[in-house]
Amino acid sequence: MWATIEASLPQLLRGAATTLVLAGASVVAGTLLGLVVALAKLSASGVARSVADVYTTVVRGVPDLLVIFVIYFGGTVTLTAVVGRYVEVNPFMAGTAALSIVFGAYAAEIFRGGIMAVPRGQVDAARALGLPPRAAFLAVTLPQAWRLALPAFGNQSLILLKQTSLVSVVGLEELMRKGVIAVGATNQPFTFYAVVGVIYLVLTGVLTLVLHAFEIRAARGYARA
Amino acid sequence: MSIFGLLMRPRFVVACAIAASTLAIFLPAAAQERLRVATEGAYAPWNYKDASGALIGWDIDITNALCAKMKVQCEIVAQEWDGIIPGLLVKKYDMIIAGMSMTPKRREQVEFTKKYKDVVSRFVAKKGSITDTSPAGMKGKRIGVQRGASQRTWLESSGYDKTATLVFYDSVQGPELDLVAGRIDAMVGNEVSYYIGFLKRPEAKDFDFVGPQLTGGVLGDGAGIAIRKDDPALRDRLNKAIDEIVADGSYDTITKKYFPFKVML
Repeated sequence: MWATIEASLPQLLRGAATTLVLAGASVVAGTLLGLVVALAKLSASGVARSVADVYTTVVRGVPDLLVIFVIYFGGTVTLTAVVGRYVEVNPFMAGTAALSIVFGAYAAEIFRGGIMAVPRGQVDAARALGLPPRAAFLAVTLPQAWRLALPAFGNQSLILLKQTSLVSVVGLEELMRKGVIAVGATNQPFTFYAVVGVIYLVLTGVLTLVLHAFEIRAARGYARA
Repeated sequence: MSIFGLLMRPRFVVACAIAASTLAIFLPAAAQERLRVATEGAYAPWNYKDASGALIGWDIDITNALCAKMKVQCEIVAQEWDGIIPGLLVKKYDMIIAGMSMTPKRREQVEFTKKYKDVVSRFVAKKGSITDTSPAGMKGKRIGVQRGASQRTWLESSGYDKTATLVFYDSVQGPELDLVAGRIDAMVGNEVSYYIGFLKRPEAKDFDFVGPQLTGGVLGDGAGIAIRKDDPALRDRLNKAIDEIVADGSYDTITKKYFPFKVML
């Protein structure tokens, strides 16, 4: 058993690397998207608020798998029709786009909650000190909103790390798909799903520690509640 | 205008949301002289990946033989099973060579070539215990079969239920365990599954296939190569190539590498 695990380990680790890159790219893109959408939701413009509401309602309301399928298969069909010749949408980019869109919708609500939870008096005080609106937002509101949003944001990041396994359905060879392939080659489902499970645990364990460090850093200057 | 000022403008925010939702980077398609073939890649010994990640197996060897006959360069990709037909329909590849059974439901979506392998059923029993596997020859025997399997329908439509006692199981392992334990005299199921999953195990050393290879009718039409319905020219070329590799013996040579029996009757 150890020999077969050892033989498959390089492939499984390569899958784990793909999983990490996919999750990392999606967290970065999804966070930026989420921040923009959160600002749109809090903006004075009715159009921006409506677009942002439609986005979060639709994306949070349909299965993540559907978003992946729509972008991977639908993206190919749409672009082929638009461009007039066959256009390939590769699984990695389709997966990154889909997971970023999904993550962005949840992150938008998390950031919106964080921003709204910063006491109004903080902004008033910043303005009273003569800070212009954007400086007040960046220097006063955002750091406090970040601290408040972190636990929920961390939770969503952990979910995203595991959601990457969904992208295996469009043929991206991330950790889960590598596990399925190893099972298909060896007929040892228990062994290889256990190994895959342990690798996911290591990844999520490290992420949990990183998030904890972020939370400590964001809480500087606050007494423990 | 400062970056933050820009960020707060509603129109910019909307534009960002739209741009982000079409974030994917799209690669242009390669020139089309090559044919692309999808297989599952997780179905040993038919098509799977070795420890280095390379695709190997019976389907891969057959694909290479077919492509050589058609004088085209084939690129074989592994595609997860649930997405394998949708990928064909949106032209991510040109054909599926993955032991796909030609079911009526799949025929609604894709076109199949002629059969390129049979899905074969066979009886397994203790060596020398059964010589005649006809309903009359199995009189009084206890036959194990999976409850929802096509082999059960076949046993009942062939009249085995009138001469023998049929014992139903929910799992694949059920009949195997009971056959070894002597609770049933024979079992019937997929030949290759028994060969890979049962007969190679040490506790099965006294057991072997008995009777002829069974196929057709309720046992299924065999497996074909799936192509898009708008591609009849490719179907004709593949059919010709299948005939050629069977006629020149390369089909049997490949099969012998994997199985001690025929996979197309």
